[in-house]
Amino acid sequence: MATTDSEYWRWKEYNWKDPEMDWNDAEFITAGVDVGSVSSQAVIILDGKLYAYSNMRTGSSSPDSAKNAMNWALEDTGLEIEKIQYVVGTGYGRVNVPFADRAITEIACHGRGANYMYGPSVRTVLDMGGQDCKAIRTDERGKVTAFLMNDKCAAGTGRGMEVFADLLGIHIEKVGEESFKVEKEPPPVSSTCVVFAKSEATGLLREGWPKNKVLAAYCSAMAHRVVTLLERLGVEKEFAITGGIAKNIGVVKRIEKELGITALDVKLDTQIAGALGGALFAKALWEKQQKAG
Amino acid sequence: MIEMFKEWYDAKHEYAKEWKEKTGGKVMGYFCTYVPEEILLAADVLPVRILGSHEPQDVTEPHIFGMFCPFCRDCLAQGLKGRYDYLDGLMIAQSCLHIRQAYTSWEMHIPVPFSYYLPMPNKVQSPRAVPYLKGELERFKKAVEDWTEKEITDEDLDRGIEMMNKNRRLMREAYELRKEADPPMTGLEAMYMAVSSQTIEKNDHSDILEETIKELQGRKLERSTGQRLMILGSENDDTKFVDMVEGCGSTIVADDHCTGSRYFWNDVQPNGDRLLAIAERYVQRPPCPSKDWEVRTRIPHILNIAKDWNVSGAILLQQKFCDPHELDIPSIKKTLESNGIQTLFLELDVTVAVGQFKTRVEAFLEMLEGEDLF
Repeated sequence: MATTDSEYWRWKEYNWKDPEMDWNDAEFITAGVDVGSVSSQAVIILDGKLYAYSNMRTGSSSPDSAKNAMNWALEDTGLEIEKIQYVVGTGYGRVNVPFADRAITEIACHGRGANYMYGPSVRTVLDMGGQDCKAIRTDERGKVTAFLMNDKCAAGTGRGMEVFADLLGIHIEKVGEESFKVEKEPPPVSSTCVVFAKSEATGLLREGWPKNKVLAAYCSAMAHRVVTLLERLGVEKEFAITGGIAKNIGVVKRIEKELGITALDVKLDTQIAGALGGALFAKALWEKQQKAG
Repeated sequence: MIEMFKEWYDAKHEYAKEWKEKTGGKVMGYFCTYVPEEILLAADVLPVRILGSHEPQDVTEPHIFGMFCPFCRDCLAQGLKGRYDYLDGLMIAQSCLHIRQAYTSWEMHIPVPFSYYLPMPNKVQSPRAVPYLKGELERFKKAVEDWTEKEITDEDLDRGIEMMNKNRRLMREAYELRKEADPPMTGLEAMYMAVSSQTIEKNDHSDILEETIKELQGRKLERSTGQRLMILGSENDDTKFVDMVEGCGSTIVADDHCTGSRYFWNDVQPNGDRLLAIAERYVQRPPCPSKDWEVRTRIPHILNIAKDWNVSGAILLQQKFCDPHELDIPSIKKTLESNGIQTLFLELDVTVAVGQFKTRVEAFLEMLEGEDLF
């Protein structure tokens, strides 16, 4: 899965496990699998603590993507899928996770995942996913109290950013940084549709705009679009961003500036928030099932 | 018996054609439920509400603006495609701009022997609304008499009023049953029941409705009720949408739609002056938002329904670009939420984006239930 020069959109796919932890010591082994429109993640937790995960591109088949993500998360752990007590499926492909015990929406899962990743003070979560974005309000347990989801367009989403990385020939993981290399912040490009934004960008390049300036205009359009979504919902502190775009400082800084609020920082991969939330719900559901006998 | 309403919903055109053949009577296609069907029934005319078919189409582009609501375009498309070719007359009672455009365009492009624009007052809260409408109803009655070449007597009007009132009474009785902890019918069945009442001859519909209400006493559905929801907003006969929502673990128990409770909420109160009584009924009915000003009477009405039918959440549905409804959404949302009823706002198009809507609806239900996940 090496990045080639022509695949600027290709972000890093990888798996991870905590070398300090041993699943043999765990009472509860649960997992969440998030089959999104662009990326898929599997997260395994031991007694509610993050143990292992994978993060990869979603293929054309949801069941296969779920299996591949899970197998990759299990890799080198010695753990087998049969030993996982409860699995929650989430994301667009949530009903197509063959080994899931229950499907829960990515909205609930991101709220719960962000609560684990950023702590119980989080009240507003912005999930910037592959093909949609959601503004979510949560309580101190990560339970959703209100939400809004964008409609009918991919301009504020990861896939849109991939299209731009490809168009401009700037690697997706460098897009954020590069977008600040401008003398003056340009006005945003149109923000209702990726295809229109792309045509507009092509026109700007032809007019002689440098790539970085076009990128700045797109990042700012994307930020503006999600800020209007957030403002419709109402933002309460603390504020956190999940999903792939949370890694793009070009968008994050511009959102912060427009909102006048700084987003919480985190060491964990923001793309796993949904699957992580799913794994945490899986633990609660498994415990309830055990108690009920 | 309850299955009959779905059959009628699916075969409304066939029903109307058969009715025409059987009775030799005239069929009037109408836009908007402010049309006083009592007068048509008094003249032995079958009123049939014009509704869309929820299929993508490309025939209305030259005739209606793209930013007019999907419902008015879907209605006009049915006319342009010849699906209402059995109509003898076409009419509208003045309501929103979009549906008026569908009417005027239809009148221009699809010739019908008789068409009528009834100037239903928009400011129903004015003390002059009732006398004004009464005057308009006199003119309308005369026009129908000229068209059918038959006088409409007081007895005819009484018959028309009673046909409408009886159906309204029965519909309200059926809706009452939905207040039960486990309603004996689904929201989907209720939608088939209510929407078919707008296209089927009233006595036929009432006969089946009476039988259905008897059947519903003590009927147990083989499904759990789940969250009790209300739907409200623009015209909505989208059975696929309702089916999807109920499939996610909920039951729709009440509504405020012109295709639902607004249609039969109040009766004509006979008072000797028949046209005056009819005028009063239409002026005083639960209003369409295009007529609900300056006082927003819809908001407390909606809250009362939500409380009386004991709902935990409401789905606020709007036909895309339906400005009158959109204007009300913020106050409805605020009122319901401050009374502990959560809301979900969704925008309807000709076809429903089931996948996208399903995620929102499921997340909404998870929010209402919630505790089992923690």
